[in-house]
This record gives sequence, C-alpha cells and structure tokens, in this order.
Amino acid sequence: MDFQILVIPGGFSFGDYVRAGVILARLLSAKLDKEIRDFVEDNRAILGICNGFQVLVEYGLLPGFEGISEYPEATLTTNIPQGYNCRWIHIKQENKNKCKFTNNIQFGKILNLPIAHSEGRFLFPKEKEEQLIEKLYENDMIVLRYCDEKGELAEKEYPINPNGSLEDIAGICNKEGNIFGLMPHPERAFYWWQKPNWTKNKQISEYGDGKLIFENIIDNLI
Amino acid sequence: MKYLLKIEVSLKSGHSDPEGETTNKLLTELGYIVDSVDVSKLYTIQLNAKNLKDAKLKAEEMCNRLLANPTKDNYSILIEEQE
Amino acid sequence: MSSNLIIQNKPNSKLYEIDLVKASNKELVKISTNFSLGLNLREMKTVQKYFQKQQRYPTYLELETIAQTWSEHCFHKTFKGTIKINNKEIKSLLKTYISKVTKEINPDWCVSVFEDNAGIVNFNKEYGIAAKVETHNHPSAVEPFGGAATGVGGVIRDVLGVWADPIACTDVLGFGPLNFDYRKLPLGVKHPKYVYMGVTAGISAYGNNMGIPTVNGAIYFDESYTGNVIVYCGCLGLVPLSKFRKNAKPNDIILLVGGKTGRDGIHGVTFASTELTEESEVISRPAVQIADPIQEEKVKRAIIEVRDRELASAITDLGGGGLSSAIGETAERYNCGAVVELQKVPLKNKDLAPWEIYISESQERMLLIIPPENLEKTLEIFSKEDVDATAIGKLISKRILKLIFGTEVVANLDMSFIFSPPLSQKKAIHKKRKFIEPILKEPENLNEEIMQILSAPNIASKESIIRTYDHEVKGNTTLKPLQGKYSGPNDAAVIKPLQKSWKGIVISCGMNPKYGKIETYWMAASSIDEAIRNNIAVGGRRIALLDNFTWGNPEKQERLGSLVKACEACYDIALAFKTPFISGKDSLYNESPLGSVTPTLLISAVGIIPDIRKTVSMEIKNPQNMLYIIGKTYDELGGSEYYSSKGFLGKNVPKVRPKQAINNFNAITKAIDSNLIESCHDISEGGIAVSAAEMAFSGGHGIKIDLLKIPNERIDRNDTLLFSESNSRFLIEVNKKSKNKLEKLLKGTVFSEIGEITEKPNFSVNGLNGKTVIDMEIRNLRKSWIGTFNREVKKNKTRRN
Repeated sequence: MDFQILVIPGGFSFGDYVRAGVILARLLSAKLDKEIRDFVEDNRAILGICNGFQVLVEYGLLPGFEGISEYPEATLTTNIPQGYNCRWIHIKQENKNKCKFTNNIQFGKILNLPIAHSEGRFLFPKEKEEQLIEKLYENDMIVLRYCDEKGELAEKEYPINPNGSLEDIAGICNKEGNIFGLMPHPERAFYWWQKPNWTKNKQISEYGDGKLIFENIIDNLI
Repeated sequence: MKYLLKIEVSLKSGHSDPEGETTNKLLTELGYIVDSVDVSKLYTIQLNAKNLKDAKLKAEEMCNRLLANPTKDNYSILIEEQE
Repeated sequence: MSSNLIIQNKPNSKLYEIDLVKASNKELVKISTNFSLGLNLREMKTVQKYFQKQQRYPTYLELETIAQTWSEHCFHKTFKGTIKINNKEIKSLLKTYISKVTKEINPDWCVSVFEDNAGIVNFNKEYGIAAKVETHNHPSAVEPFGGAATGVGGVIRDVLGVWADPIACTDVLGFGPLNFDYRKLPLGVKHPKYVYMGVTAGISAYGNNMGIPTVNGAIYFDESYTGNVIVYCGCLGLVPLSKFRKNAKPNDIILLVGGKTGRDGIHGVTFASTELTEESEVISRPAVQIADPIQEEKVKRAIIEVRDRELASAITDLGGGGLSSAIGETAERYNCGAVVELQKVPLKNKDLAPWEIYISESQERMLLIIPPENLEKTLEIFSKEDVDATAIGKLISKRILKLIFGTEVVANLDMSFIFSPPLSQKKAIHKKRKFIEPILKEPENLNEEIMQILSAPNIASKESIIRTYDHEVKGNTTLKPLQGKYSGPNDAAVIKPLQKSWKGIVISCGMNPKYGKIETYWMAASSIDEAIRNNIAVGGRRIALLDNFTWGNPEKQERLGSLVKACEACYDIALAFKTPFISGKDSLYNESPLGSVTPTLLISAVGIIPDIRKTVSMEIKNPQNMLYIIGKTYDELGGSEYYSSKGFLGKNVPKVRPKQAINNFNAITKAIDSNLIESCHDISEGGIAVSAAEMAFSGGHGIKIDLLKIPNERIDRNDTLLFSESNSRFLIEVNKKSKNKLEKLLKGTVFSEIGEITEKPNFSVNGLNGKTVIDMEIRNLRKSWIGTFNREVKKNKTRRN
C-alpha cells in the first residue's frame, strides 16, 4: 500500500474487444482483486477516465451501491448518435460534497472539458432504471452532468449531451465518494493552450478546468 | 470431452441499438424495405469440459463474467458435443 | 499455369524451379503473367540472362524476390527510369526534379531526406521531426476499412522505422460523388458511399486505437475517384537525434518482431503496380491486409525502449513486399549480404510455402538489426510487451542473399544483381489541350451562388468525419482542425510536442485535383502554394515538403507527359520558395473500368513555429476590427468551384507567381511575429467569398466587404473578383490600433483594407457598381456549409420491442 491514488487512464485497453473496458476489468480482478479491495476498503482514491471509467463500471466498482458488485450494475454503451466523437463539451458539477475529487469545486460550477469516445452512454437495466437513478441522487453519487455553456442541462439533446447518456450523466462516484469515473478527459484540459478557444481569448496565464479535479484530490490527501 | 459453444450476445429489448439503426438507415437508402435491424455478436468457442452439464455451467459463467453485461445484454447458448 | 514450366526438385520438397533458361520471349511473358510477377519482357530477359550465366534454373522464390524488388511500388521504376518526351530525355524524374530541389537548396536543417523510411528535419538541438505520407489507394479500393486502417498502420511504422515516436497523423482522401447512381456502377467497383464510410472508419479506428491524434487532412470528391479511391495517410514523429542510429554490420542479427506472418497481403506490391479491373475484386482478396492496432501499440512501446537503450544497429518497417523488401534493402544499405532461415518465421497458417513467407505483407511487423551481444536484452524487452521477436538470420559480409528453408537453400542471389534492375525506358508526350472559358451572364446578386458553393462537397464542413478522429489525444494539439465554438476550418494544425518548450510543429496540406484537369504544371504549383500558405497562415515557417503522386497508367504516353509536367512544377516552384522535399511516394496505375484517375498531387507541409503563443486561428475575433487582403486577384476561375457549380471547367487555371508569393508569405510571418494579426485565413477553393464567409460564421460576427478595394488585374466582374482562386492570397483581421504599424510592414506587398468586422451578424458585399451583391445572415451561410455532411440523428430513440 505504497500509493494513495489509483488512476485508470483513457485508451483502448485490449482494443475495446468484447465490450469497452471489460477485458482489463476482468484481468485486474483476476490478478489484483485482493489488493484493489483492500485499497477501496482503506478509503483510498480511485479515478477512471474515459476507458478507465468503463473499466470501473465493468469491474463493479461503480456505481457500487452495496460495495463492489459481482456483476456490472450499469454500462457505458454505444453513443447515440453512433460513432466516435471528439469534441469539447460543458458539464456541471452536481455532487453535494461526497466525491473526493470534486468536493472543493462549487456545486453547479460549469466546467469545459473534451470528450473522445464511442461508448459513453451511461445506462441502467431498463426495469430498474427509475429506482437506481433515485438511488444515485439519494446517495449523492451523481458528480458531472452534460449541460450547455450557460449551465442548462442537456436533457439528452445532441451535441450538448454528446452520447445520449441517461440523466445527462458524465461522471459518478461510489457511495463512499472515493471512487470516481468520468467520460471527459480532465488531463487534456490542464493547460490553457490545450483549450479550444485560447487563440481568441489569449488567457495565457490560466489553466484549464481539468486541473481542478487533480488539485482537488491532492488537496484531500494533504 | 470437447464441446463446441455458440454464444450469441444481443441487446435486451427496450434498449436502443444505434448500430442497428444506422445500418437500417443505410439499407433503406440502398433501396431495401427494411423494418428493423438488430446487431448481435456470435462467439464460437471450443471448450474442454467434463460433461454436457459442466459445459453448460461453464458457458453460462463465461457469459456472466465476460461476454455479456446484464445491464443491457441477453445471451443464448448452443452446445454441440464433438466426438 | 502451364505446369510443364515448373520442376519439382525432389518429391515432397518445397523447392520449385522454373524452366526459364531456354524459354522463348513469348514464354517469358507468359511466366510473368501466370505467376503475377508484374515483370515486362525486358526485365524477364535480364533475369533469364542472369540464370543462363549461373547455369541453373531459378527457384520460384528467387523469381518472386526479383519481382518484388523490381516492382513499381518498391523500386519506383517510372520515377527512376528514363523518359523520352518531346525530343528530350529525362534520366530520372526523382533526381532531375524532386530531390534536386533539396540538393540545390541544401538546407542545414535537413537531417535525412529520401533515404530512410521517413524524412527527418531538425526540430531543436535535441530532437528531429520525422515525416512520411503514404499512398494506400489500391488496398482501399478492394477493402475500404482494412485498406485505410493498414495504410495508417504502415505509415506509423515508417516513422517508427527511423526511431521516431509517432506524435500525429494526417489523412487526405478522395472519393467519387456520394450520390453516384448505383445503376451506373461497373462490376468490381464499390459505391463511393460504401468506400467513404469504410475508409473514414478505418482511419479513425487505427489512429484512435493507437492513441495518436489525427490532426490534419482533407476530403475531395471527383468523378474519377469513383473507381480509384485516394487514400493518403501521413504520420509525424519526434526522434531524439542522438538515437538516430544507422551502423549495421556483418554478423549482426536480423530480428523479426511483431505480428505473425500469414497469407494476407500476398502480391500486394505487384497488385499496386497494375490497373484495377473487374477481376481485381476476386484476385486481389489475398492482397487485403487485416489491421491490429493493439499489436502495433505494443510493438511501438518495445521499439522505443530498444531505441532508448541503444540496443539495435538498424531498423526498418515491413511494408510492401514484406520480408523480401525489408531484408534486401537493409543488406544493400549497409553494403552487406544476408542469410535468412525462413522456417524460423512465426506463422499464422502452418502450411505457408517459403515464397509466401518471404513476400507476405502481414501487418504490424518490423525488422531490427541487433549486434549479437545485445540480443538477449532485446528479446527481454519484447517478451515483456508480449510481442513475438525471432532471430531469423544475420547480415554477412559476402554480397549475396541466401534464403534457407529447413535443410534446403531456396534462394541464392547476388545482391548486385537484385539491386540493379534494367532501367525502365518510357515514352511520354505533352500536348497543349484546348480549353475554353465559358460565357456566363453575371448574376444580379450572388446570394444563391455563395450558398451553393459553401454546400459543395469539396468546401462543405467535414466536421462529422473529423470528430470521429481523436485529434487531441496526448493533449498536445494546440491548434485543432476545428476552431472554437463554431468548428471553423483551421488552415493548419499546431502541435506542441515538448513539455518544456514553446516551440511547435505546424502541419498543413495542399491539393487541387480540379486544376489538374486543365494543366498539371499549374495543379502541382498550386498545391505547393496552398500547402505553404496554409502553414504560413497560422504562423508556420522553415517549411519542408512531402510529395505524393496519384496518377494513371504511365505506359500511356500522355499520362506520363502530364506527370513530367507536374514534376517540373515541383522543381520550379519549390526551389523558388526554398522549401525542400524530404520524402515522397507515388501511386501509379490508378485506372478502373470507369477510366483513369484525375492526376492528383498531394503536397504536405511541415513547418515550425518558434513560440506557439503566437499562433493565429482563422475565426473573426472582434467587431470593429478591419479586414485586409494580402495578394493580387487575377481572372483565374479555371477549375474553380464557381465554374464547377455552373457545370463548367474553364481554362484560366490559377498560376503561381513566386516573387509576389514570397513577398506575401514573408509579410504574413512578420505581421504574426509582431502581433499585428487577430485572425488569418488563406484564400483557396471558392475564392474571397468562401474564405471571408468562413471567417465570419466561425467567429460569430458579420463581415462587410467592398469589392472596389480589391487589388486585381483588370477584373470588371463581381463574380470573378469574389470566386477567383488565384494563389498566394490571405485575408487578415486587424485591430484598428495596429493599422499604421501593419501598413508600414506591408510596404512592397500587394495589399488593401477591403472591409470591416460588424456587430450585425451578416456577410455583405458591395459590388463594383456600388450595389449590394451579397447580403446573408451568417447563420444561414453556416447552415449551408454544415448541412452537406451533418450527422442527422438529433433526438434519442429507443428501439421497438
């Protein structure tokens, strides 16, 4: 237990074969299940970005209503409209104070981050959908939702919600708030020159919004 | 014993299938009168197992552990005994 | 095939010999055809003479080795051979025109040109930029997804093949019209829409999976691309100059790494060097390669580690011709010979014959040359990545190529023979063809015209495709292909490859196939000008060029004549601009049942920007700013989008006037460095009208232009002024405060203030007679521009039960 944070970054682990993220998830659980369970139980932080979020869901670490589930309780599946989509979007921080990665970011703050994926549509089993959404809210597990630049929720309108995600969900955390997964890429919005409009605004001294998330978790460790 | 498994993983009804819908649209554009297109994945697996019951058990386990996500996927299993 | 020509040495032997020594001319041609060798009679006779001297029959594998090495794809016969044209003899197109530019300019910042898998130029003291653009037309015509994906995979390996870490991909594509009538499609030709979807999906699948951003490109549509799809895949890499090693020597081990070898891609090379016919669909199947980007990702990681630990003495990729090209060319480069044991090659299919192993084009393989003392360490690196690495032979000092399969010697050839094929001798003619300018009545207002041109396939937004490519993975893309909120079309992409440096790489391209229908000289000249001005427009400079030719059958004299003309332009214009060529590739024989391909030269430009903070994007920034034009407008509507929208081709193709152009380029660079430019957009297809409209709707503000103020050469029509595609011009947005400084700086350049940025979101143009000729809301213009290729699905639907 030499480390405090486990980050599963984006990428196409194992070519996204079978389903995005599932092979890495199964491999991790076959080889490191005990270590990961200890890590989680010790309330250490786990972050999954894009493909990493898909891995956390397939592993059963997220949403994790009752701890780590044996089978996935949700899925991140094919975008609607279909296909890979690389664009900058707006999201709203809607976690009250549970998520260790966002608890210092003001509730309702709008962040500008890029997405780049083809399977980002968050989904519950149809028959349990309403009940599980309810549970997400109840336990303060919703973290990021797609919205327009003014903060109006997308309500599934494309491209404000770029993948048709349920409840415009872009990121969730577990019940304890130490495991967080999101489809957008905060690491691609760390410096000002990564932003899409810097040639217009010339805000040369400013960082991107992605930095807030990394800063937040490190502040929590100190 | 050797068994041949054919496992088909398809979407549960009620879920949208963007790949199927896109294909549908294209086929329609090509002039076919198409009512619906469903896309599924077929895995053909050569399996070693003790007996048919064991093979069936293992096949289901494979589906649950890897091939299907119960949130959205149905699966069907066909088993053939080989010599 | 006539079986009496084949002799099997021993029963059950894998060794076949071909009775060539006594064959007549007719039989020689038959042997070449029956075995798909793609060799002509002169070449077959050279082979015959060699074996007569050796007093033995060639083995089938030897014939294949020779055929692969001498193929158009590997040896570039046409570009290296002699051509007789209009009583003149050209010794080699490559040396007479293309590489001569670089030789004459001789810039000290070029590290390696026309020599390795990719060209290399300096980036800074420590790093070089490696660049390569490949053509993958033929494979993509047969299997669009696989062909395009393996095109990307191949060019990434080219960059790895000079020890560079791939950092960005580019792609330029050409398709037939997407609404092509299905009933007119000949057998064996796939519908453009199918090809379009497959190719774009293949490109995105490979680049995205590898985690390499696809940052620049273009998509063109032309009738002639229906039967001859164009797929240009490019890749840039960063190479630590101290690790760029080339010192292989005898006794070094030949290590084959990466994917297993199978039957895929057999005869890809000879296939790429002949015309596609109805039968291509059937015969070419084995030529189709299957892509596995995940394998290549692992190969990449291992190779970078081998590089950093300096374990290898040489490297090359396995592309066209497979092992046969890679081993032969490596041994030749280091003045060695080679011994290879083919039974050691890891196989996908156990029953592969030795000749199939030797020429297979299975993907994701590379060849490393390793000094014996480093072998163990190298093998460990590959095993850690779970990638096959197999020692299959070694370099030797004797200049022979010896191939062994088990206990049999299956080939034993002199290196000097393999690498001195008879030079091709071709004839070409160049005739001036007659074209005429159409007689068009000038429309009262041009609102309809601008809408129509903005929605024309060659101009309309390609956002729906560009967004399926991950263009910012790695997080270094500081100027993206789509600009800002309205996804404006940036002229070039900028990459900031190093964490601790503000220096950037600027990537752009130019391609003008429509001009090639009138005169290939000016088509080539325009492509060079366009690639460079795109680069200049965002702040790029010190530009290196890459050339990619797609042409028809060079055996046809007129086609070859037009190729010679294009090469002449490459020399004249690139030399004038002092922009060296560093790498190139040609794809000839692009013929289909629908006819020959429109001669198409892609020029890719790689520049640098000393400080990325100076980068200029193309969208209008602020109302109250002024709009300037740099460069003179001529009556040059030949091959323009305007004529094409009216159903004409025309005659007055845009020319390049190097002296004026250089003035304009230098002025823009200076103005950017002095922070005097708010936005800059090059003027190309669709002329001033399209360029200004794009700037307006991409920035969300209006633009007002006065045509009386546009510097021109005797033009008295509004439509000509607005839509002429004269080269070397830019539109720039300037803050009023910078007016004096800018105008002082522009002295000696043709320029003029032509209008202003307006709060009112309209694009409006005052004509020569003072009347308004265009007045449109920018959101309507944008709608036309976006509409052609937009994603149609808006609302989410659930599937029926």
